[in-house]
Amino acid sequence: MYKHTGSRGSGAPGWVLQRITGLLLVIVVIGHYFVMHADPASGHTYAAVLERMHHPLWKMFDLTFITVGLWHGLNGTWGIFRDYKMKPAVSLTIYGVIILSGIAFWVLGVNTILSF
Amino acid sequence: MAYQPKPPDGWLKTNLRYYKHPGSWAWILHRITGLGLTAYIFVHIYALTTLTQGPKAFDDEMKLFSTPVFKVLEWLLFSLVLYHAFNGVRIVLVDWANGAKYHKKILTVVYGLGVVLFIGMGILMFREPIANMFASLK
Ligand code: HEM
Ligand code: HEM
Repeated sequence: MYKHTGSRGSGAPGWVLQRITGLLLVIVVIGHYFVMHADPASGHTYAAVLERMHHPLWKMFDLTFITVGLWHGLNGTWGIFRDYKMKPAVSLTIYGVIILSGIAFWVLGVNTILSF
Repeated sequence: MAYQPKPPDGWLKTNLRYYKHPGSWAWILHRITGLGLTAYIFVHIYALTTLTQGPKAFDDEMKLFSTPVFKVLEWLLFSLVLYHAFNGVRIVLVDWANGAKYHKKILTVVYGLGVVLFIGMGILMFREPIANMFASLK
């Protein structure tokens, strides 16, 4: 249990992965922005989104994005909480909320992608 | 008695103490933008679920996000992305690629590139209103 309470464990694997996923996201997020704003329709109309969504390569892009993005964001958020001394019960609750909300929204987003 | 700095107590005070050091602004901003983007991803995933409810549901929702106010907000969101992304690259370079030696140069290049991309995105997003503005000057 102490593994997750912030005072034990070096956290090094998560820290290295934070950097690697971060570097990956540079290309993915900035690329996403240029695709979504290439013209006023591309990110803001059903027709344009569906055209991408029917293409397996775009699906793969979105699946990678949601997985890597959520992991990086939530691991980063957990890293912030780890900076502060907390009672084990509080720490464990926060950890639980982070994991559960991550899984829930991952399923929600993946469901959207795989509906097409 | 010798001066004893009071230990920081509590979440807020610990954070506010860091503000006194100018060099930590880069780090504070990295945290704020990281948290902001994480919050955005959650809202974003939820907003996109209307895609599964058919064209009308999604396009109705996007009408709101296509108004000028939201367009500007979407552009400003890009500044969070750029700051966090390029400051993140800077951190990794300084730490892993012996970048401390070139610290100043990396800072200039990385932040410069961010400003250029931000302005470029602004032109891309607002090219129609900008063109209309110049057309009306004729
Ligand atoms: C776009 C490319 C990105 C890069 C290069 C990047 C890079 C990084 C790096 C290197 C760190 C660790 C900082 C350290 O070692 O002190 C970090 C932390 C973090 N990132 Fe990212 N990131 C990116 C995108 C994102 C996105 C899209 C999100 C949100 C979904 C996000 C959320 C966070 C959070 C919450 C932290 C924790 C901040 C802290 O510990 O102070 N990042 N990022
Ligand atoms: C304002 C600018 C943005 C617009 C207009 C936009 C629009 C969209 C659209 C239309 C999709 C559906 C998939 C597709 O068409 O390929 C999508 C997916 C996605 N976007 Fe964005 N996006 C924006 C910014 C961002 C940012 C800043 C992030 C990261 C922090 C992000 C993360 C994602 C993720 C993870 C997915 C996959 C979501 C899912 O599976 O439900 N987006 N975006």
